[in-house]
Amino acid sequence: MIKGILRKTLYETWVLHFAFGLALFLVGMLLTMLLPQLEEGLNQFLATLPFIRTFIQALLGDDFGGNINADTLRAIVWVHPTVLTLLWAHEIVFCTRVPAGEIDRGTIDILLSWPLSRRKLYVCETMVWLAAGLWLCGMLLAGHGTAGVFAPARSVHSPRLPLLVVGNLYCVYLAVGAVTLLISALSNVRGRAMAAVFSLVLASFLLNFLIQFWPEVEVLSPLGVLSYYRPASILATGKVPVADMLTLLGIGSVAWVAGLEMFGRRNICTL
Amino acid sequence: MNAIATDRLSLSYGKRTGIEGVDLQVPQGEIFGFLGPNGAGKTTTIRILLGLLKPSQGSAQIFDQDCWSQSAKIKQGIGYLPGDLRLYPWFTGRRALRIVSSVRGKDLSVQGQELLERFQLDGNVPVRKMSRGMRQKLGIVLALVHEPQLVILDEPTSGLDPLMCDELYCCLRELTSAGATVFFSSHTLSEVELLCNRVAIVRGGKIIADETMDALRKRVHRSVVLRYRDAEVAARIVMPEFLQLEQRSDNVCRCLLTGTTPQLIAWAAEQPLEDLSVSPPSLESLFRRFYEPLETSV
Repeated sequence: MIKGILRKTLYETWVLHFAFGLALFLVGMLLTMLLPQLEEGLNQFLATLPFIRTFIQALLGDDFGGNINADTLRAIVWVHPTVLTLLWAHEIVFCTRVPAGEIDRGTIDILLSWPLSRRKLYVCETMVWLAAGLWLCGMLLAGHGTAGVFAPARSVHSPRLPLLVVGNLYCVYLAVGAVTLLISALSNVRGRAMAAVFSLVLASFLLNFLIQFWPEVEVLSPLGVLSYYRPASILATGKVPVADMLTLLGIGSVAWVAGLEMFGRRNICTL
Repeated sequence: MNAIATDRLSLSYGKRTGIEGVDLQVPQGEIFGFLGPNGAGKTTTIRILLGLLKPSQGSAQIFDQDCWSQSAKIKQGIGYLPGDLRLYPWFTGRRALRIVSSVRGKDLSVQGQELLERFQLDGNVPVRKMSRGMRQKLGIVLALVHEPQLVILDEPTSGLDPLMCDELYCCLRELTSAGATVFFSSHTLSEVELLCNRVAIVRGGKIIADETMDALRKRVHRSVVLRYRDAEVAARIVMPEFLQLEQRSDNVCRCLLTGTTPQLIAWAAEQPLEDLSVSPPSLESLFRRFYEPLETSV
């Protein structure tokens, strides 16, 4: 039963996973190769335009000290807006398919006429979403690794550090995706669900910048998902960000269970 | 055991009533017609039976299992065709059968191929290239392929040509002769009259009749057309108790015969009539009266 639904879901979405995976691989590879080359130019730039420093700090979620060095630039790879946009766009597209997308296009009547509980359907979607997250993060890591072959880092780094960063990024993926699933479970119109999630992630992203320029709103920082994702700190200290990862997993778990319950209990009306 | 049993089933969409106090008992092995005008509550009732909507009051059971809490289990034995059928654009007949086989956990390719041939459907054409009728046929194939114990069809003949309608009726009769039950929702009387043993009529969210087709036919009055020699005479005529005047125009009076034929013949013999015709009983007129607005209904 689950095999059939997984088969259907994969048939519908494999192109999406493949395209976004490939894009993350290329972006990861290009950023890893190109960003360290900007070190000298960027430091000159920082001397003349100090507010750029604030932007980079907002992006990294951390103060990187005096000058920008190759390590700081390597950390930017993991928080670059292109990377986050690709990851979140994939989630917004995938996680709003069921139930909002199915209700919106009316196909849920056929889907739920099969001997399948709503909970099982939700779990099937979740399984593909989790696997897709591993694939996407894996491709980003692979791109980063491949770039290392062509343009080796000047200083030697433990291969464990990028893995830790990607682990943290996967937790971000889980939190955002689970919230998307919850919003999808509450909605009849896919476009509205997508717009709601897009607004949330955009607000979360902008909050990081706002805090840098307007310290009074720092009290709101726990509301931003990027507050729990600080690759620069991981790369600098080598410590596992247990608290951040647990917070993200907590958000993800609560949202996922709430989505499951909402979908299981709600009326499905396509008229 | 009843295939379907509902008890005071009600559902509201906010302030608007979807259905109210619907009681249905559909015995196994019957073709049960569910008739009503657009927006009467047919689809709402069906969606409750399929566990898509939760009733605000009352209960619905299929094969003695609750339609909401046991929905997934019940649907192992149900075939459903939605009224507003939407299929995945990438579905072809064959691909859809493969998915349905996986979901239902049994190989349905042989039965599926037979049904595709019966409904003259090419199994390789994707839904996005199908006409409305072809999509409807694929929906019917998917609803019948697993030889369900209960088939719920919501206006299944919309978009089908007459030959395919006949093929569908034939399939449904075969299914019921093998013990299955068919719940056939429609707003077209002729197909319900042709196919069903029993019919429930729903209007304004309420069941206003639930009878066998034979019982309904007995309630039907014959239509009588009286043609008088001139309009003045026709205008002066007072109809007897057993004739219910429906329309008078010039020298023609159209009536419903509520009495017996000998009564009519005896009375007509004394009338200045030019012609008289009695039409066979028609369910159409009865249904029209059921469908009329609430204030003027039977």
